Amino acid sequence: MTKDLSTWLDTLLSELQGIEVRRKSSRRIRVDVQPDALPALLELLRGRASYVHLSAISCVDWIEENEFELVYHVWSYEIGSLVSAHTRIARNPGVYISVYDIYTPAAFFERDIHEMFGVFFEGSPDMSKFILTEWDGPPPMRKDFDSEAWVNAHFDFQDYQPDWLTEIEAKGGGVAVRPDEQRFSRRDVDAS
Amino acid sequence: MTELIKTPRAGETLPVTAGKRTNPLANVFDELVRFAQSRSLFMLHYCTGCGAIELPPAMTSRFDMERLGIQPMVSPRQADILLVTGYVSVKTLKRVILTYEQMGSPKYVIGICSCTVNGGMYWQSYATAKKLNDYMPVDIYIAGCMPRPEAVIAGLRELMENIRQGKADSWKDYYRHYDHYLGHQQRLFGETWQTPTDVISEARHYGLFGPDTLGTHTALLEQHQKPLEALEMKVDIPELTARR
Repeated sequence: MTKDLSTWLDTLLSELQGIEVRRKSSRRIRVDVQPDALPALLELLRGRASYVHLSAISCVDWIEENEFELVYHVWSYEIGSLVSAHTRIARNPGVYISVYDIYTPAAFFERDIHEMFGVFFEGSPDMSKFILTEWDGPPPMRKDFDSEAWVNAHFDFQDYQPDWLTEIEAKGGGVAVRPDEQRFSRRDVDAS
Repeated sequence: MTELIKTPRAGETLPVTAGKRTNPLANVFDELVRFAQSRSLFMLHYCTGCGAIELPPAMTSRFDMERLGIQPMVSPRQADILLVTGYVSVKTLKRVILTYEQMGSPKYVIGICSCTVNGGMYWQSYATAKKLNDYMPVDIYIAGCMPRPEAVIAGLRELMENIRQGKADSWKDYYRHYDHYLGHQQRLFGETWQTPTDVISEARHYGLFGPDTLGTHTALLEQHQKPLEALEMKVDIPELTARR
């Protein structure tokens, strides 16, 4: 029965115009779709194909292509398979339409993406801060947010040069790569 | 007749006059008190990160912390030790500072895991505070990711030994150098940062008011400080008011 349903789904999706369907495995389908057709696809999957569970919405920042990729993962309990619908929107201004009217849990995922990536979802019930309530910097999951520079500007690191270490180093032992030569060097801050 | 003790103003230091201890048994008594203090430590049940998972085995049957006289306590007012276990995010750090200021003196802070020392594996994270002792004085660090219960107990035993010898007095640092700690807090939380505890008055109360208690940062605090107001008592139960 499950096999019949998934074959039926393949036929259904193959008949739709303008989408690219790739079956990754027996239980996973990847669908690439244009942003204007995505709500219609989700509507179809939910209403006609029993994909009632929206597991997550994830966001990928493709900074070189100047695009955000939104991935809607929907699960069907009857067919037992996961469809991930991929769509790409322009990074500027980064506005997309909410699917809250199709899937209610989308409100939380959209609120989260709004705070982490700065994508605004039109029609979402609440776009206020969710986890980063005390954060006033730029959206931190964007690729152009330099976490290390922010850390160097806002925090200090412990100096790790105790006396007993210099004694060991005088004898030829000790740390191979000194902390100030390591990854969290403050070179960038001092230079500017 | 008691004499009124002169309260020092900003930028003024009070000459410290060591009181003469005439009782020959005073030192003996001090030692006894310190011994008793070191053997009955209440550990605040407030854990911030992943290192907290090492505490249940340290407290329960195998390693049994209570045989050392250490037991968990739920409220900061009754606790002696604040264990900061693992990463402290900026959001949590505010709460940790509030909790620390609520604890009665003497109070001790133990930083467990590498994250409290230097950010640990979250060295690059925008959300994790790196050096705990920038924001509050830390008595003992227990490094490791994560330290085993043996290491936690070894650290606690070292703290006990320091208390017994009278060396664990870093809590006094918070009063003596309040401006330094407040400066770091303001750097992270913004200029309008304020806690409900009046640390400066407490410093006067404990006689720990020093030249570094007040400074540029406390001056900034005074500008923004909103006076604390008591919560309004309001009972709004119709059945109750009707009965009256």
